[in-house]
Amino acid sequence: MSTTKDFIVEQLKEEISGFKVKATEQSVGKVLKIFDGIALVSGLSEAMMSEILVFKTSQGEVTGVALNLEENQVGVIVFGDYTAIKEGDEVIATKRILEVPVGEALIGRVVDPLGDPLDGKGKINTTKFYPIEKIAPGVITRDPVKQPVQTGIKAIDAMIPIGRGQRELIIGDRQIGKTAIAIDTIINQKGQNMKCVYVAIGQKESKVANIVTKLEEAGAMEYTTVVLAGASTSASLLYISPYSGCAMAEYFLDKGEDVLVVYDDLSKHAVSYREISLLLRRPPGREAYPGDVFYLHSRLLERSCKLNKEYGGGSITALPIIETQAGDLSAYIPTNVISITDGQIFLEPDLFYKGNRPAVNAGLSVSRVGSAAQIKAMKKVAGKMRLEAAQYRELAAFAQFGSDLDVDTKNKLNRGERLYEIFKQDQYQPLEVAKQVLIYYVLINGFMDDVPVEKVREFEAGLYKYADLHDELLKMINDKKELDEEIEKTMKTLISDYKITVDYLVK
Amino acid sequence: MKISNKQYAESLYEAISGKSDQEIKKSIHNFGLILMRQNDLNRGTEIIESFQKLWDKEHGELSAELDSARELEPEAKKIIIEYLTKKTNALKINLQEKINKKLLGGFILRYNSRVLDGSLLNNLVNLKNKISN
Repeated sequence: MSTTKDFIVEQLKEEISGFKVKATEQSVGKVLKIFDGIALVSGLSEAMMSEILVFKTSQGEVTGVALNLEENQVGVIVFGDYTAIKEGDEVIATKRILEVPVGEALIGRVVDPLGDPLDGKGKINTTKFYPIEKIAPGVITRDPVKQPVQTGIKAIDAMIPIGRGQRELIIGDRQIGKTAIAIDTIINQKGQNMKCVYVAIGQKESKVANIVTKLEEAGAMEYTTVVLAGASTSASLLYISPYSGCAMAEYFLDKGEDVLVVYDDLSKHAVSYREISLLLRRPPGREAYPGDVFYLHSRLLERSCKLNKEYGGGSITALPIIETQAGDLSAYIPTNVISITDGQIFLEPDLFYKGNRPAVNAGLSVSRVGSAAQIKAMKKVAGKMRLEAAQYRELAAFAQFGSDLDVDTKNKLNRGERLYEIFKQDQYQPLEVAKQVLIYYVLINGFMDDVPVEKVREFEAGLYKYADLHDELLKMINDKKELDEEIEKTMKTLISDYKITVDYLVK
Repeated sequence: MKISNKQYAESLYEAISGKSDQEIKKSIHNFGLILMRQNDLNRGTEIIESFQKLWDKEHGELSAELDSARELEPEAKKIIIEYLTKKTNALKINLQEKINKKLLGGFILRYNSRVLDGSLLNNLVNLKNKISN
């Protein structure tokens, strides 16, 4: 025992004797006004943009960040309890730009936008910090997007492929499955060499708790960080949350790894920025958003990138989410973010309530990177899928009026009906790419024409089980990633063998 | 257009510079009337503050606050004034001294929105933070 005691005393002595008494000059200011999470501070003549400022209050220290530098005062957004701050309190400049902890220790954790843990799993042990605002990688550091992100969602992987380093917007009304797509995508990244960051901006904490539980059940928290700024969080924390999520992703990018970041959702982010801007008395523009609301999102999404080999070859893929009001795509924020991103997945209420889930609208959804981000096998089977799906919907609406249809149209309608049945997919059940290739191959080659529409999903489920039993085909597709004659031959035999086992085929 | 505190201070400074005491008194009276007419009397304190800053700047003076636990020796005060002169190039330094027993020892110097905290209290707090982290 005594040795331990001696050791501690010795350590303490060393620590205290090593402590140097020094007085350094600090830049200070005084609080002029404090209201609604915003403080106006005089003095601080040397304050930097987005510098951390510390308020010395009677109830301890409160931090804030300089956002407005004016001639006589500094506008500060306050993190934490602003009611503790009183007029005349001292404010100290720390000479540090706002930064968050980053590193492997954050994986599997739920943190707030400042990187403090919210999951009760203890302190986050990391010594690395990244600034939350960073200039996006320049053009010479980048590479074209060419590797796929497998979302595991049949409709998306076939029609609207997403590549590593792409920014694909998920847009639609409330309660229509926007978050579900993002979560399924995160779940499907297991074993795909991908880290994930889910940023919840202004979401209900109960919803986020559900999401975390689902991710844990699926084993997806092993590679995921959740940044949570809940609905009750102040606008200042909501405002910085996507940037801090991006900073956490950039750590892995710099290590040459691939990261997927989901910003759920950016409409609430824009609203929180509007609140801050109006309180800071910046002039309002369209829909009362400030003039720089475009830059707000463009500087965030521009940080997603695919770096070339010389710069590590990592990537950040962004899936921003935007909530529209009554399907209005032409509102201010949706048009802004549509123009920033490399494509969008548009979810439609009509489809959703008809039971087509995920309710992806084939006509309005695009991926500007296109088929560069698909494996060759998928490219071959799903090449014209988007066109066909869009044509079917128009044709189906038209065919309601007349019963006399020519054979060609009838065939197209039949194929389309089955295609839409295949697009249907349950939540939390992402599908591996080899099985997707198989089912689309079945469809485009007419092997499904004799399956009744209402039996398509049963047929599909059975086919996957059958393929799992004879798994050499799936293995071949996964290894070669393209459809050669050998694979096609195996595929054909497997399909015809399977079809013998089902009894509902129409002769 | 709203007149800023700084603009008020500047115009007052211009009005009284190079005038006799009698004239200054009159100018200040007129200045008060203008403030009243503009409904800006409530900003009096801020305007006076701006005026003091302007005066200091124009005359190369510097106001500084010095809080200490005990009355400082003249030798120590001299060092502090020398430090301030070197830092700010001020010609004259107005040191307002205050005794604050809570500091335990040492002093805190405040000038131009800067602070030099050499108090024992601050050092103890820093030591506490260092050991507890």
